[in-house]
Amino acid sequence: MKHTMRTMIGTRFLPLVLLAVFGLLSCASLPPAPVPADTRIVIFHSNDVHGKIYNYAKVAAIIAAERKSGADVFYFCAGDNFIGNPVIDQYVPPGEPILELLNRLGLDLLCLGNHEFDFGLENLKQFAARARFPLVAANIQAPPGSFPQLRPSVLLETKGGVKIAVFGLIQIEAGSGLPSTHPDKVKGLVFSEPLAKAREFRSLRAGNHVLIGLTHLGYEDDQRLAQQMPELDVIIGGHSHTRVDPAENVNGVLVAQAGSDNKFLGRVELLVSGGRVVEKKGELIELNGPMAENAEVKDMIASFNCNPAFAKVIVTAPLAIAGKEALGSLMTDAMCRVHGLDIAFQNGGGIRLNRLPQQITIKDIYTLDPFGNQIVEIAMTPAEIRGLIKNSFEKGGNIDLQVSGISYVVRTNAARQIKEIRLSAADGAPLDENRQFKVGISSYVASVYDFAHQDPGRSLQSTTADALIRFLESGVDLSMYRDIQRAFWEKTTEYPRP
Amino acid sequence: MQIKMNDQAIEIFSGACVKDVLRKYSRAEWRLVKNDRKAVFDRHGHQVALDGELNGGEEFFIKSVELAKPQP
Repeated sequence: MKHTMRTMIGTRFLPLVLLAVFGLLSCASLPPAPVPADTRIVIFHSNDVHGKIYNYAKVAAIIAAERKSGADVFYFCAGDNFIGNPVIDQYVPPGEPILELLNRLGLDLLCLGNHEFDFGLENLKQFAARARFPLVAANIQAPPGSFPQLRPSVLLETKGGVKIAVFGLIQIEAGSGLPSTHPDKVKGLVFSEPLAKAREFRSLRAGNHVLIGLTHLGYEDDQRLAQQMPELDVIIGGHSHTRVDPAENVNGVLVAQAGSDNKFLGRVELLVSGGRVVEKKGELIELNGPMAENAEVKDMIASFNCNPAFAKVIVTAPLAIAGKEALGSLMTDAMCRVHGLDIAFQNGGGIRLNRLPQQITIKDIYTLDPFGNQIVEIAMTPAEIRGLIKNSFEKGGNIDLQVSGISYVVRTNAARQIKEIRLSAADGAPLDENRQFKVGISSYVASVYDFAHQDPGRSLQSTTADALIRFLESGVDLSMYRDIQRAFWEKTTEYPRP
Repeated sequence: MQIKMNDQAIEIFSGACVKDVLRKYSRAEWRLVKNDRKAVFDRHGHQVALDGELNGGEEFFIKSVELAKPQP
């Protein structure tokens, strides 16, 4: 059966493409499909793997064992394979280990997640061109002919003739109307509201024995989709990293999701009898334990984990950059330059090395900044910036935040109480008190530091470490990071007034 | 965007994940979850990972891992 599937999806892709393109218009008017014999279908599913490839050898062994049982077996992925494991994320070309592993595992279908765009649209198109599986997301519209591997829906068929229609949906943010990735990464694509788009696929119910939504919406929206579309047999989802075990029956629709990071493999089992699904259930298989592994896939994983790009020297500095002030200045300059921010802050606890060597590797950057924190942009007034600096100082009774774009002085009295915080622009002039500045901070500072700000802010969907790598790769002059200081503590002997 | 944690509304930047909301809600609870003594569950009772992504409007609850296990 698997061979039949591979043939249909790979070398004989054109009929499938036509079905995908014209399916919406034609399925409703198709004559009822002939009723095949009773069929047991097993669909394995992963989501939000985020570069955690370590359990794929177990996944391969589980799928192979199921195929031997005689069931019709499929393997779906509900999106977000990239970003989350620096060793894999830094591969050249980006995403290569994931592509090779999913091809080797015989993935049948991938619904695009927001992080599939994080390496850029051109990279995703190259990924898609080499994938031996189709990509689905019905609420993405690409310019005609520009992304031929992307389909709204796909029709699969078991060896006994059971027709399975699957459509894909990707999440979009309420404000921007774009998936949660940097807007530059999806330029040229048009996204529509996923739950509204889903209604167009009700017509796929006619003429097909099984109807599945393969989504990257998050569990809450999967629940809403099930409520509005009881025509569905199954929703297999991702995005919210929800561990749904067993899969839940919502309005007659089985809703499944397999956590994240390849810790679980989802397994949905359907019994099709009399031309419709008569039994369905879903469970998670825990992968973090001893179990059989496919030796060939295990070797592939070991090879990918020795990523030579990780040890590559990205820049040779004229000096070893040392000290929190210099390293923090470098990190915040990177945030400002790479993302066009006016001001950026880096907390001292997030600087995990005392010095960078002269020959700086990607591994050094992830040792310096290992937390995977996102950059959050907030529009802030000078008064709000003072509130952030005040809170940071009071947390540890010392200068904590390193800065780019401005310098600042915290003046305290003899009791270490803050009397004044002076802000100066890069040229030494006082900041315009009536202006709002584009300020970048890490997601850690945004969530842990207590400071008032009118603008709630937005993640730039890029990590602080990624900004530093891109900054260093741009050929910046690093000689300025010698004896650099932008944050000062002015201690006075004034005594607090009673 | 607004997320509820243990019935308390938390205003957080868009694109935040579960751990950002949890850290803003309570550093003490964050440490307990990070050390696997507690876990975060959605309003349907399903456990979510700390890097779970949010769209806005979700509700979560922090529970002891032992209490969250199905009772025999």
